[in-house]
Amino acid sequence: MIARLGGINPLTALALAVLLVVGTYVVPAPSGPLAALALAVSLAAMAGVARRVIILAAAVSIPTWIFLAVMNAIVAPEGEVVRVGGFDVAPGALVPAAWISLRLGAAVAALGWVVMTTPPQRLVRALARRGLPAWSQYLLAASLAAVPEARRRAREVLDAQRSRGLAVGGGPVARLRATLALAGPLMVSLVTEAERRALALDARAFDARGARTSLTEVADSNGERTVRTVMWGLTVVLIVWGLVR
Amino acid sequence: MLEGAGSSISYARVTPLAKNYVSTIALALIPRAVALNLAIGAIVAALKLPVYLDSIGTVLVAALAGPLAGILTGVTSNLVLGMLSSPTFIAFIPVTAVIGASAGVASRVGAFRTVPRAIAAGIMIGLLAGAASVPIVLALFGGVTAGGTGILTIILRSLDLPLGSAALISSMSVDVLDKVLSCVIVAAVLARLPRRLGARFGLPHPAA
Repeated sequence: MIARLGGINPLTALALAVLLVVGTYVVPAPSGPLAALALAVSLAAMAGVARRVIILAAAVSIPTWIFLAVMNAIVAPEGEVVRVGGFDVAPGALVPAAWISLRLGAAVAALGWVVMTTPPQRLVRALARRGLPAWSQYLLAASLAAVPEARRRAREVLDAQRSRGLAVGGGPVARLRATLALAGPLMVSLVTEAERRALALDARAFDARGARTSLTEVADSNGERTVRTVMWGLTVVLIVWGLVR
Repeated sequence: MLEGAGSSISYARVTPLAKNYVSTIALALIPRAVALNLAIGAIVAALKLPVYLDSIGTVLVAALAGPLAGILTGVTSNLVLGMLSSPTFIAFIPVTAVIGASAGVASRVGAFRTVPRAIAAGIMIGLLAGAASVPIVLALFGGVTAGGTGILTIILRSLDLPLGSAALISSMSVDVLDKVLSCVIVAAVLARLPRRLGARFGLPHPAA
């Protein structure tokens, strides 16, 4: 089953994630978000990433619930108030806060499952096959590839500035000054590098209008296409139902 | 591509792409700016600073290459963050698009030529970004996000401010501080950028 999930077209996984997110927000709580969360976690379990997906969803939904509970039940109590330890507390506000957090957690789990099981480059290739323009393919793929390099260069510049006596500790002002000393050289270097890359792109006929081929193809069976069409249709039905309800 | 022009070297305008509005050099710059947003954002978070600076690359691209390139940078940044960090960033794509668009428009009127102008642009961009984020925070997060902005919202709610107003004031306050700083840094960088490089983006050098 793990191999089966890993082999599905990324667009099918994306369509399912969007359907789950829409279902989470359109179908009333708690049944809608609970069903979406259960399905997302089940899919994550089949792909072997259930623990990571649960942690990701909990990292968003639990702090949100705590902040909402503090605000709506204690700081600015909404609804019927009871006296607890010298404070006015509105216990009724805890339930709506739980539903908001549950919806958020379910949406994060639905998208998180796709993000964790789909290599971004595979998603870009699948989108390219469905007609994504070359320039937007480049933007997504090159941005994803540039992140580790930028983090490495940021560390290098920070080390170079430290070796010149820059202090990165101390109060907020000292730390901010350290960040500014880091940002300047990084920004100048990226603009300089962009010029070289633009010349390289032009030299490789980046703006050519002909059809392009890919070294690797992402499988997309007729069955998956049908399932995807049904899922997009269900998503539209849910949105319309949510609007007219 | 290269043309001699007197004692200096100038470059022919590169082929326009993306519906003739974004040049190849701007497209080449955007992935680096996206990575810069993520790298600086991570460093600022690690240093526990009261700002984000995670739109600094977006503001830089918008200042050099205009509003559409700024929008593309902002949208791509949050898509990549959504893929690499947390899907919640995807919900804030409209906010980053507003930042890119407003910084690009500000650049067109010379907002990055001096520090006072950059501060004014930062205030405007921060107010717009704060206003754009409030409907998302209200609809998806119940009006409060877990973090510094959320704490400010709770403090304002304790002063009996309505939820919408509290969320708006806290978002705008944090965003104004953050975008003013980003704009001042970008203005300082543009002033140090070789004039030839600015001309490559098809715009008059912003610091000229």
